[in-house]
Amino acid sequence: MEFKVKVYRFNPEFDDKPYYKDYVLEDFPGMTVLNALISIKSEIDGTLSFRRSCRSAICGSCAMKINGISKLACKTQVGPEIEKFGIIKIDPLSNMPIIRDLVVEQEGFFDKIKEIQPYLMGKSNVGEHADDFHALKEGEKITQPVFFKSEFRNLTGNNDTPNCILCECCYSECGGVTGNKDYLGPAALAKLYRYSEDPRDNDKNGTRLVNGSKPNRMWDCVHCQACEEFCPKGISPVKSIVKLHEKAIKNSINFSNGAKHIISIAKSIGETGGLDEIKVALDTGGITGLISDLPMAFGAGLKGKIPPIRLKLIKDMEDIRLAYKILDLEEK
Amino acid sequence: MLRHDVVIVGAGLAGLRTCVELRKKGIDAIIVSKVYPTRSHSGAAQGGVNAAFDENDSWESHFFDTVKGSDYLGDQDAIEILTSEASANILELQKMGVVFNRNAAGGIAQRPFGGQSFPRSCYYADAVGHMMLHGLFDNVLKYNTKILYEYFVTSLVVDDGKVSGIVAYDIKNGRFEGISAKAVLFATGGYGQVYSSNTNALINTGDGMAVSIKAGIPLMDMEFVQFHPTTLKSTGILVTEGARGEGAYLLNSLGVRFMSKYAPKTMELAPRDLVARAEQTEINEGRGVDGAILLDVRHLGKERIMEKLPQIMQLSIDFEGVNPIYEPIPIRPGAHYSMGGIKTDNNCRTIIRGFYSAGESACVSVHGANRLGGNSLLDTVVFGRRAGIDIAEYIKGAVYGKFDESILKRDEEIFENLKESSGKERHGLLKAELQEEMRADVGVFREEIAMKKAIEKIEGLKERAKNIGIDDKSKTFNTDIVEAFEFNNILLMAEVIARGAVSRKESRGAHYRTDFPERDDTNWLKHTLATLDDKGNIKFDFSNVSISKFEPKPRTY
Repeated sequence: MEFKVKVYRFNPEFDDKPYYKDYVLEDFPGMTVLNALISIKSEIDGTLSFRRSCRSAICGSCAMKINGISKLACKTQVGPEIEKFGIIKIDPLSNMPIIRDLVVEQEGFFDKIKEIQPYLMGKSNVGEHADDFHALKEGEKITQPVFFKSEFRNLTGNNDTPNCILCECCYSECGGVTGNKDYLGPAALAKLYRYSEDPRDNDKNGTRLVNGSKPNRMWDCVHCQACEEFCPKGISPVKSIVKLHEKAIKNSINFSNGAKHIISIAKSIGETGGLDEIKVALDTGGITGLISDLPMAFGAGLKGKIPPIRLKLIKDMEDIRLAYKILDLEEK
Repeated sequence: MLRHDVVIVGAGLAGLRTCVELRKKGIDAIIVSKVYPTRSHSGAAQGGVNAAFDENDSWESHFFDTVKGSDYLGDQDAIEILTSEASANILELQKMGVVFNRNAAGGIAQRPFGGQSFPRSCYYADAVGHMMLHGLFDNVLKYNTKILYEYFVTSLVVDDGKVSGIVAYDIKNGRFEGISAKAVLFATGGYGQVYSSNTNALINTGDGMAVSIKAGIPLMDMEFVQFHPTTLKSTGILVTEGARGEGAYLLNSLGVRFMSKYAPKTMELAPRDLVARAEQTEINEGRGVDGAILLDVRHLGKERIMEKLPQIMQLSIDFEGVNPIYEPIPIRPGAHYSMGGIKTDNNCRTIIRGFYSAGESACVSVHGANRLGGNSLLDTVVFGRRAGIDIAEYIKGAVYGKFDESILKRDEEIFENLKESSGKERHGLLKAELQEEMRADVGVFREEIAMKKAIEKIEGLKERAKNIGIDDKSKTFNTDIVEAFEFNNILLMAEVIARGAVSRKESRGAHYRTDFPERDDTNWLKHTLATLDDKGNIKFDFSNVSISKFEPKPRTY
């Protein structure tokens, strides 16, 4: 069967603006989008540039937008795409500058990975033998530090964050990054969570969570779930981010507006069952925050959306109190 | 011109491990890699990394298994280092943040692997390479390492027997960079792309080895190419030996576990050379299933498959259309690993002072004629670490050598001429021809007449390669020209392999000659050393194998 591939092309040396170029190929059973790109490049048009390496969905090189969705070209089959869309339309990943054709600038993404301090911190508690490196002598045995499976929960499951291949699909689909280029994005934050969960980590002062609570980090997630939806490895960065939020609040790291916001919402609902928006705005951003929110509030007011000045207790307040009790939220 | 004390080329496990060793001492070491480090092929390693931890196991047993697995071609002094330092290296990785699955006693869980007399392969599900690669990369970030992303190495600069730097092509900006250095390490990986059916990444084109032999450094034992017994039939994608370690069966078209015929004691867990040949024999004798063998894990049950082999399950579904919980996986042997490489000593030094190599690009030799599964990851960290320690000492007394800039100009010219060429040959198609020829005639089974045909084909391709045309005239991320360069590298590797294979008139490990089916210790218990003469012709010398503890014996499993 013949099918059409429509590829985004742009070379800043020669082109004023991007354009699409069409190629016609013959498919074969099991043909992947990467197979298609490789045959275009080797047989038809050597000027098409894209990254690729392992072709088995573990290196993360060939992430690109296929019919509008960020995917790995190597594990996306041509057949089902054609069935659904009638064409293979390929674009570079979003949220990153384009170098050329399907090749995007990744250095910024990796700089953000570095920002979250992706390594064990503090004096490592991996046992007395860890510093004692030597080749074994004849008949000598080594003893190893003991860590039980339960201590590595959240790190050894199939869908846990250590399986992330840094392919940038989540980053490309992330609404938070689209709105704020400085936001670290899902992959970096999931990695932050991964190290914060590591039983060998000895970050006694909570440096990692404090840093992670600064602007453009964990509290900038907009919870759109796109990272989970589009991860080719079945990982959910947003779940990790939510757990980071919980960890930060549990550890009383609540200097950030995000943490204050959540605490205030929880308090408001716990007290009245409703959302006291003015109070929440005041708790989150203080007076200056409240003032800076005024234009928006005024705009909302013009559309008839005026929050009540005083909230009435809702009639099912007992249920809420019960829920808070179960969730152990009364104190906080 | 850049200047750094140490330049590490390649950012897979060996390169990153060396880098961590140097950076934690505060040494000015940088990484130069043609891909982003996490794209390196180490990440595709699935099954395990070997070390004796169990009280009933011993490193001496691992030592012997590796010597026997190598068909006695491995250097025993080097293998002693590999196996006696194994457990300490694994614990060090664990300290750096690498996660391994746990056993009930709270130690590192271990699974059986081919050719190992004890279950001693440490793992992280079936993605241990990925875990180690990302763990080491994170440590490289920790020590604030400068990385030249997407720079492709084209030359080693040598001054009077001493390294003085490298020349590399900046792919993003289309310009050459000279980097002056006191020490250079190549951890550039293997050359799996020489073969059509292979488990390797498309980037594994033997670049570092090609650059080295051109700079006068011998490549050792290049005729020994490992064919992995279980690669997906349609794509050659790896299916871990860990599957057999967990208990998978190999079945022929009659539904028979045929390994009982070839390795009655170890069955599916015989070493890779033996299993690959057994499979190919079954296929050749008409007991294959559409040119493949079946790998059956169904009896392990859904839960165990999903816990221990999740990646294999997903790869089989995505790339072969088969769910291994319900159906056996069609597999066949595929080119997997380069036992040969840049000749080094036990501290990763080469004959050029200050020039080092580690990992798959190097040949110490710890794998000899056949590598055992789980020993390559171990090789990368043990020798990556040793390289780091030795380089740190070496540079203390070293000074920057004279950097011959004419080499940079020469490389620029080669690229420029190639780019402007309007020849009619397409490197992508030439590559496919080469790969198919090597698979057919210098593969699992080898024989003189067929291999000479392959050499003729290679000679023809060398001529045609002069006529390669490049579509892409751009300076920005020009992968057309990089691929043309890579093609020339695999073409050179193919020639070294094929000529070495013709010259070695015996069968040993992965090198099996149907016309010389026996191992010949009298004449061939020696390493092959390939170099280029003035005219670029390959010539061979030989060197002795280090035998310290175990005299060669017949190898049965």
